[in-house]
Amino acid sequence: MAILPKTNELGFFEIRLESIGGLGANLAGKMLAEAGVVGSGFNGVSFSSYGSEKKGSPVKAHIRFCGLDVNIRDTTPVERPHIVGIFHENLSKTVNVISGIYEDSMVLVNSAKSPEVLKDKLNMLGGTLAVVDATGIALDENNRVNMAMLGALFRLCDFLDAEHMKGIIRKSLEKKYPQAVEPALRTFDRGYNEVRSQSFGLPDGAAMPLPTRWDIPALGWVTQPMGGMITNPGNSILKDLSISRQGMMPHFDDEKCIHCAACDTACPDFCFVWEEQPDKKGRPQMFLQGIDYQYCKGCLKCVVACPTEALVSERETDGYGDAKRVPHRFILAD
Amino acid sequence: MAIEINKELSGGLVEQRMVYESGNEMAAYAAHQINYHVMGYFPISPSTEVAQFLDLMKANGQHDIKLIPADGEHGSAGICYGASAAGGRVFNATSSNGYLYMLEQMPVQSGTRFPMVMNLVCRSVSGPLDIHGDHSDLYFALNTGWPILMCRDPQAVYDMNIIAIKLAEDPEVRLPVLVASDGYFTSHQKRRVQTFAHRADVHRFVGELPPSGFAHVLDRNNPITVGPYMNEPDYINNCYQQTMAMYRAGDVYDRIRQEYALLTGRDYPILDLYRMEDAEVAVFLMNSASEIIKDVVDQLREQGIKAGSIAPNMIRPFPQKEIAEALRGVKAVTIGDRADSYGGHGGNMTNEIKAALFTHGNAATKVISRIYGLGGKDFYAEDGHHFFRLAIDAAEKGYVEVPFDYYGHTAGDPDKAPKRVLEPLRFEDLKTGLITAERDETTGKLKVKVPPVRQLTKKPKRLAPGHGACPGCGIFSGLELFFKGIEGDIVALYQTGCAMVVTTGFPYSSHKATYIHNLFQNGAATLSGVVEMFWERKRRGELDGLGLREDFTFVMITGDGGMDIGMGPAIGSALRNHKMIILEYDNEGYMNTGAQLSYSTPLGHRTSTSNVGKHQGGKLFHHKDTAQIMAATNIPYVFTGSESVPQDLLRKAAKAQYYAQNEGLVYGKILITCPLNWLSEEKIGQTLIDDAVNACFFPLYEVEQGITNITHNPEEKGKRIPLADWLKNMGKTKHMTRPEYAEALKSFEDEVERRWQRLKAKHESPYL
Repeated sequence: MAILPKTNELGFFEIRLESIGGLGANLAGKMLAEAGVVGSGFNGVSFSSYGSEKKGSPVKAHIRFCGLDVNIRDTTPVERPHIVGIFHENLSKTVNVISGIYEDSMVLVNSAKSPEVLKDKLNMLGGTLAVVDATGIALDENNRVNMAMLGALFRLCDFLDAEHMKGIIRKSLEKKYPQAVEPALRTFDRGYNEVRSQSFGLPDGAAMPLPTRWDIPALGWVTQPMGGMITNPGNSILKDLSISRQGMMPHFDDEKCIHCAACDTACPDFCFVWEEQPDKKGRPQMFLQGIDYQYCKGCLKCVVACPTEALVSERETDGYGDAKRVPHRFILAD
Repeated sequence: MAIEINKELSGGLVEQRMVYESGNEMAAYAAHQINYHVMGYFPISPSTEVAQFLDLMKANGQHDIKLIPADGEHGSAGICYGASAAGGRVFNATSSNGYLYMLEQMPVQSGTRFPMVMNLVCRSVSGPLDIHGDHSDLYFALNTGWPILMCRDPQAVYDMNIIAIKLAEDPEVRLPVLVASDGYFTSHQKRRVQTFAHRADVHRFVGELPPSGFAHVLDRNNPITVGPYMNEPDYINNCYQQTMAMYRAGDVYDRIRQEYALLTGRDYPILDLYRMEDAEVAVFLMNSASEIIKDVVDQLREQGIKAGSIAPNMIRPFPQKEIAEALRGVKAVTIGDRADSYGGHGGNMTNEIKAALFTHGNAATKVISRIYGLGGKDFYAEDGHHFFRLAIDAAEKGYVEVPFDYYGHTAGDPDKAPKRVLEPLRFEDLKTGLITAERDETTGKLKVKVPPVRQLTKKPKRLAPGHGACPGCGIFSGLELFFKGIEGDIVALYQTGCAMVVTTGFPYSSHKATYIHNLFQNGAATLSGVVEMFWERKRRGELDGLGLREDFTFVMITGDGGMDIGMGPAIGSALRNHKMIILEYDNEGYMNTGAQLSYSTPLGHRTSTSNVGKHQGGKLFHHKDTAQIMAATNIPYVFTGSESVPQDLLRKAAKAQYYAQNEGLVYGKILITCPLNWLSEEKIGQTLIDDAVNACFFPLYEVEQGITNITHNPEEKGKRIPLADWLKNMGKTKHMTRPEYAEALKSFEDEVERRWQRLKAKHESPYL
C-alpha cells in the first residue's frame, strides 16, 4: 500500500476543497476519496458541506485519509488541511479559503494568474502555491472545471494512482456518454500536466495563523431579535454574488439598446438598473442604465431575451464586472 | 451506488465485503438486501436520499420493493401502517418536521402492534427552519412506544437496519422499530462499511418472510377487526401489554445482537462503554459525537486522567440498570443532550440518567447537564475536552457548580446588532396607477389595463437582489413579473421551498415587504389566519395609526411540492374563500430537497425518485392538474401564467388582485424552469417555458367566476409544437424522444391532448 506523505496527530492526511456549487467540487471530492480508499486501499472519510445553499454559493468538501489501523471518529470539517483545492479564485473575496494551513501545506488554485500574484491575493504567509487554469482548460476542451482540478489534485497527491482514476472516469462515462470520455480524460491530463507550483518560505519571525472557529456567528442570543425574526429585511443587497459566475457574463451595449425591458423580465437576480429620463418627445420614459454585476450570476437569460445585440455573452475578464458595474440606487435607511 | 472494494476476511461466520458509502446509502443498501415489500415515503432532508438510492437500485432491477411516493409524511405513515397491517415487511425513512407530521400515527402503529422499520435521520425540529442535525426529533420518539436503536456511523446504520427488522418481528416484541442516525454527520459522510456479501445470508438471519402465525388483514378465512374503539377500562391493559413487549425488546435485542456478532464479528452491546472500567470522570453522548469523544478520552488517558465515555446503542427500552452499573465508581459525568427539553432542567437523557442513578441507589456520582450541538453545530474534540473539564471540576470540588446550562451559544457583538438597511417601500412608488382593474357596469366584466413592461421598470421590485437562488432560476423572474401587476402593499407568505430558503438565509432577507414562512403543509391556513386578523383588527380600528393607505393584498407563494403536501389546507382555504392569492411556482419537482418527483412531475420525467434505467423509465403516473382541482372549489378566479408571455401574466395579476381584494380566494400557477434539475441550459429558461406553453402542455387560461377562457391559444397563433420539441432540450426528458420510450411519450401526448381538448370545450361553453 502507498504511504501518506504526512499525517496529523490523529493519523490523518487532510484535504479541503473550496468551491461554489455547480463547479463539481463535491463530485471531485467524492472521486478523490474513492481513489484513495477503493483504489489505493487507505482508510478514509469524505463529505461535503450541506445546506440550502444552491448552485453558485460557497461550498466545501472534506477528505481525510489514514491507515487501515486508524479509527475514524471525527466527523467535523477539516480545519487544518494539508492540501486545499480552490475551484474559483475569487472565493477569497468572501471566504478565508486558506484557513488553518500549515507551513508545508499545498494550496491549489484554479487561476490564470501567477503564484506570486495569488499569494498576495490569498494573504498567504508561507506554503506551496500550485496553479492550474482549470476554467481555461475546461472551456478549451468543452469539459468540466472539476476534471481539470481533479487532474491537478492527483499531481499533488502523488500517493494516489492517477491511472486508476482515469480508469474510473472512463468506466463511469463510457456507457451513458461515450463521446464525453476522451474530453474528460484530456481535461484530467491537462490539469495533471499543466499545474505549476512554487513554494514560499515563512518570513523570519512570522508564524502561520491558527484556524479560528468558523461557527461563531455575528449575532448572538443577546443581540439576535426574538424568534429568529429578521428586522432589517432587504439586507441581502449587501451580498456580493459575483463569484457565482462560472466564466461567462453579459456585456451591455447602450447604443444597441431599445429599452424594451425583455432583459428585466428575464433576469432572476434583478441586476438591471433603470432611470426615468425624458424621451425624444420630452415625455418621461424608462431607460436602461446598465447591469449591477454585484448580483449577476451569469445565467445569460438576458442575452437570449434581448431582441437586439445590446446584450451579448462574453468570457469574464478580471476586473470587468467591477469597472462596468452600474450600482442600484436603493433608498437606504440612515 | 455501492462500490465494492474487495472481499475481505470476515470477522464472523458469513462472507462479507467492503463498500465505501454514507449512512443513507447503507440504510438503503440494507433495505434492498432485506427486500422489503413496501416503502411509503415523503422527501425531507437529510433522510430523502434513502428513497432516492432505493429508487435508483429499483431502476437497475436490484430489488422489488414497491416504492410509494406519499403526499406528505402523514400520508407516508398511513401507507406504511396499512401495508404492515396487510402482513408484509414495511420500511420508511424520515427526519425532523416530517417525523412530527407523522407523529400521531406512531403510537397507532405501536399500539396496534404492527412491526415495521423506520430510519430517523435526525435533524432539528425548529421554528426558524434549521435543516441540520440534532436530536430534537428523536426526543419526540421517546414516548411513541417504538424500540429505538442508535447508529454512531454508517457501519452501524447498516448493521442496526438488519437487526431492527428481526427485533420488530420477534414474537416476544411485535413492535415497530426506529433506527436513529445523525443527519449529515452520519447520513452524508462516506466510510468503509462491511456488509453481508450475499442476500441469502441476510435472509437466513432475518428470515426470508416475516414469521407466520400473526393475524393480518388479507386472510379471508380469519377476518379480524383492526383498531377498535377502546376506552377505559380496557385501554390500560393494551398499554400494559405494550410496555411489557417494550421491556422484552431489550432482552430480545441483547440476544439478537449476540447472534449478529457471531455472524459478522461486529458487536453492539446495549451500552458502548469506552475505557470505563476504572473511569473516574465520564461523558455521555449519543451517536456521532460519542465517537469524537473517544479521541478525547485517549488524549486524557495519556495525561493520566481516568476518563471514559458512555454511549447507548438502544434508548428504548432505556438501559437504566446498565447505565447505573457503568457509572458506579464514577465521580462525575457530563451528559450532553443534543436537544433541550425546555423547562425540564436538563435534556431527556440527563433526566433519565439521573432517574437511573436514583433508582439504583447512586447518590454519589455528580451529574452535569449540557445542551450542545443544536441545529447541526459541530462538536469538535475541544468541545469534548470542555465537557471533561466540567466533570473533573465537579469531581475535585465535590459539587457541581452549574448543574444545567447550554454549551456553544454565543452572546453576539453589540456593534453588529441588526440595523435597518433599506427604507420601507414607499406606497406611492408601488401604487403607480399604471395598472387598473375595474368592473364594467354595462357588461359586468372586469376591465383590465396594463402598460408595457418597460414602463413598469419604474416600480420598485418587491424582492431585493442578493438572494441565493441558482443561476437561471425561474422562480424570481416569474414572481417579480407577477408582482409587477399588483399595485400597493402586499403581505407575502412563502411555504417551505426553494423560494423561501434562498431569500431568507439568516441573518439576511430579500423580502422588502413583510414576509412570513410556515411549513408547507400549512401555508394556506396560516395566511387565511393573517387575512382574517387583518379584517378584524381593521374593523376594530386597531390599524388606523400604522400608515396603511389601502388594504393589503395577501399573497401566498408555494412550489408544486407545497401544493402536494399542503393540498388539504389550500382547498380548505379556497372553500372558506378568504381574500387572498395562492400563487404556485411549478418547477415539476421537489427541487429544494434534491429533485424528487412531485405529483406535478409529468409522466416519464427523470427525477431523483423516478430514475431512468433498464427497469423503470422515469415517473410512472401523469402530472397533477392543480389548476382544475382548484377551479373545482368554485373560487372567483383561477389562472395559469408564464414569464414567456408577460402581458398575459400581468393582466392576470391585476385581475387576481381585484378578486383577492373584493371577492375571495384566487389561485394561480406559473410554470418556471429549474435548470439545475431539469438538466437544461440556464440561458434558455424562457424558451423552455414558451415551448411548454406552445406544446399545449401548459395552456395559458383563466377560470373567471366559473367561466373558462383560453388567453393564449398556440393553435390559433400557428405556434403549436409537438411535445417532443419541448422535451428534447431538457436532460430530464431527453430519453423520452428515443424509440424505446415511444410508448411513454405517446401516453404523455395523449394525456396532454385530452386535457387540451377538454379545456377548449370548456372555453367554448360557459357551462363547463
